[in-house]
Amino acid sequence: MGQAATMHAMNPSIDPPPPPLLTLQSQIEDLALVWPWAEALAARYAVPPDTQFAIHLCLEEALSNIVRHGYRNQSNQSIAVACTVERAPSGVAELVFTIDDHAPHFDPLTPSQVAPAPAPATLAELEPGGQGIRLIRKFASRIHYQQLPNGNRLTLAFPLPS
Amino acid sequence: MQISSEEMAGGITRVALDGRMDIAGAAAVDLKMNLIAGTAAKLLIDLQKVEFLGSMGLRSIVLPARAVKSRGGKVVLFAPNEMVESVLKTAGIDTLIPIHHNLDAAVAALQ
Repeated sequence: MGQAATMHAMNPSIDPPPPPLLTLQSQIEDLALVWPWAEALAARYAVPPDTQFAIHLCLEEALSNIVRHGYRNQSNQSIAVACTVERAPSGVAELVFTIDDHAPHFDPLTPSQVAPAPAPATLAELEPGGQGIRLIRKFASRIHYQQLPNGNRLTLAFPLPS
Repeated sequence: MQISSEEMAGGITRVALDGRMDIAGAAAVDLKMNLIAGTAAKLLIDLQKVEFLGSMGLRSIVLPARAVKSRGGKVVLFAPNEMVESVLKTAGIDTLIPIHHNLDAAVAALQ
């Protein structure tokens, strides 16, 4: 587990609460820290089980893509995950996770990434590790990508109960 | 993440997964899944107690299934919950490995 992994807990006595932040080292082992952190936040906001599933899925897919493809498994890099509550343009309150990295620019929402790949005809053709972006697009209610001067910011939003 | 297996009538191997098939969960079952897939001819993967499935968990299902099918065997997925089934369908797994919610139908599909 990375020594740099730190957690800043919410203080419910402060209004609005400071955005919680989880900093990870770019190694697959550190991803085990993410769900307990996100699960605690989800519980705080009474997020229903199906949305918790979606949050778990999207964070795991996004972060493992950064570790494996963005940083190419270099473990001395950092990833920051912040969680905020925001109001979507539609007016719906959302739990929003913002993931910052310093990897080479990669926009998962470019047309070439977004275009649905043809369905594999056989198991041999199926690339089981290549489903991350497709799953994120299916399970996150809102996705935004921003190119940073030295990295990437991916924002994933999930509806909160009204 | 827990994994158990049993031999059923008709030469069917039933492997039951229990827990979260996330990165850690997939790593915990990969070896045993591969060992089972190395000998099974008719493999029923019981997903009733799988609470979560990510793409690493998909890999832990697809690669053993591929091994069984490459030897002329058959594989079915049994009783995933609604969200797990949605992951399977989003990834296109359901068109390659049939999903059944009725045990008799799952067994029949393996005959």
